[in-house]
Amino acid sequence: MNLWKDFNQGIIKENPVLRLMIGLCPTLAVSNNATNALGMSVAVAFVLICSNWVVALIRKITPDEIRIPIFIIVISTFVTISDYIMHAYYPDLYAALGVFVPLIVVNCIILGRAEAFAYRNPVLNSILDGVGMSLGFALALVSIGVIREALGAGSVFGITLFNPAVAATIMILPPGAFITIGFIMAFLNKAEKKVQ
Amino acid sequence: MGKMVKLGLILAIFCVISAGGLAYVYMMTQPKIDQNAQLALERSKQEVMPASGKGMAVIVEPQGYGGKVKMMVGVDESGRVSGVKILEHRETPGLGAQIVTSKFLGQFKGKTIADKLEVEAITGASISSRAVAAGVKEALEKVKTKK
Repeated sequence: MNLWKDFNQGIIKENPVLRLMIGLCPTLAVSNNATNALGMSVAVAFVLICSNWVVALIRKITPDEIRIPIFIIVISTFVTISDYIMHAYYPDLYAALGVFVPLIVVNCIILGRAEAFAYRNPVLNSILDGVGMSLGFALALVSIGVIREALGAGSVFGITLFNPAVAATIMILPPGAFITIGFIMAFLNKAEKKVQ
Repeated sequence: MGKMVKLGLILAIFCVISAGGLAYVYMMTQPKIDQNAQLALERSKQEVMPASGKGMAVIVEPQGYGGKVKMMVGVDESGRVSGVKILEHRETPGLGAQIVTSKFLGQFKGKTIADKLEVEAITGASISSRAVAAGVKEALEKVKTKK
């Protein structure tokens, strides 16, 4: 029951992007098309699940005073690993995501979960929390990416839906990210009020 | 004092473990990364060079709207542009980023250094379009001085 809750809460109830409003920087930057959004979600999921796992594993031997530098070492190690692997095996995706892969280090979702959850909970719960939060992040990022790409470039995952000449280019530029995320949050808040 | 040393040592141990792990992953992936870069370069060369394989391919980096536009220009023996390929750019998505389309780049084909590089610019991206034209011109001049 408790395990299920730890897994579940990140998806909608405490969705990192749409509810906790953390990790907005990569969300705004790489959600201009669905493919980039998905690639970013996978990289963040890898780092978040691994870092939650390791932080929970070493929490008993981590001195309280230096826990933050230790979290950062753990996180940046996994970020660098994902950076190397993506560069070697998915060069196209790597070229598209560019600087935002190394910047996963400062994605506050990951440090936030390490500090608020993994440092205080057993390994299995922490891994599940990582999986749930990653799914929540992916859900938010991919829906924003799909909406922006569809309205702004007339395609979804690179498959053309309609003539891109009539698409609203603003949607794949930075303002489109703010507009989309605002509408999704408003919609979620409204839906929540109705449920209550 | 003793505590400080202890904490420092713990942190150092974590760093060593992390560095060791990274060194291993680096060794595993680096050959593949180099190979990818080499392959991409070869492929671009094949794309811009004339079918005969005779000529030159030069890389130029004109200043675009969002930064340098790294591009490869193929020039055949008679000094005509045989192909243009954008390797790296940071132009605006949806506008300047359209410089990579073959519809735009095709316009440079067959141009020589004597031609005025007046091409149909992309709507909303005249700076990016001009940057590519300047790059082609620079490449043609480079080829000319090398001969």
